[in-house]
Amino acid sequence: MSVPTEHLLVLAALLFAIGTLGFLLRRNVIVVLASIELILNAANLTFLAGSRHHSALGELNLHGPIFALFVILVAAAEAAVGLALVIALYRLKQTVRLDAAGELKG
Amino acid sequence: MADLLFYVLAALAVAAALGVVMSRNPLFSVLSLLGSFFCLASIYLLAGFQFLAATQLLVYAGAIMVLFLFVIMLLNLGDETQYVERPESLGKRRVAIAGGTAVALLLVAVFSVGLRPTQAAETASAADPGATSFAPTPVFQDEAIDDLVKVGELLFSRYVLAFEAASLLLLATMIAVILLAKRQRGDVREAAGWPWQKGVEQ
Repeated sequence: MSVPTEHLLVLAALLFAIGTLGFLLRRNVIVVLASIELILNAANLTFLAGSRHHSALGELNLHGPIFALFVILVAAAEAAVGLALVIALYRLKQTVRLDAAGELKG
Repeated sequence: MADLLFYVLAALAVAAALGVVMSRNPLFSVLSLLGSFFCLASIYLLAGFQFLAATQLLVYAGAIMVLFLFVIMLLNLGDETQYVERPESLGKRRVAIAGGTAVALLLVAVFSVGLRPTQAAETASAADPGATSFAPTPVFQDEAIDDLVKVGELLFSRYVLAFEAASLLLLATMIAVILLAKRQRGDVREAAGWPWQKGVEQ
């Protein structure tokens, strides 16, 4: 693949922006969590693009993929805790709408 | 050929990402997310990051997606169309659209300004001072792939502290999830929310 690094970064930026949009727009907690996963994937793509950009000829730079591996791990932990919170919210309110959970609002 | 495949996959990934945000049904949202993950894994594969492509498929498409679908099925979350959007949230929606677009434009602008030249380009320009300091964007023709042995060596030497911290994080996550999702006995609201447990719990 001989795609310039900028194109990978633009793809990552688009995914990040779409994820941000979903995070801000949607009221469903499940979709908000899915948007966060999109944002983390965009970050991973950026790491890989940077790693590829700084690779020597014939040998890939491996620091980017290792960092992306840790990002995937954090995403897995975040999804697990987030979905447990969704279940707790559903128990309390019988809904997964974010505006139903406004008790801490000042 | 691989380039064309990249652009097709990128378009599909963006379309799937839009599907995540646009669709009314959370089930379709999560399935679109799965499609986006598959496209990204294919892009990783094209770029030569085989290990990360496999990890992406195993952890994201395998584990996290199943978790999402499990919660949707467990809570029986159907259509979102039954909810009426409150009028006050329309202003917030405009602010959110403006903010998201601004973030998109900012990121595209930052990334399209240009990148630092690679080490190879730097040494080349150092050897030949007369050359222009603005090296052209490197084009990758080599078909390098990642070396799994080297990934493992790095993970257990240079990144060993992060690796151990990750294990602690996973343990903490496990305990937190068990505590959060555990049924609390005698909770009245819970009994109201889960009618089939009445009589069993009380």
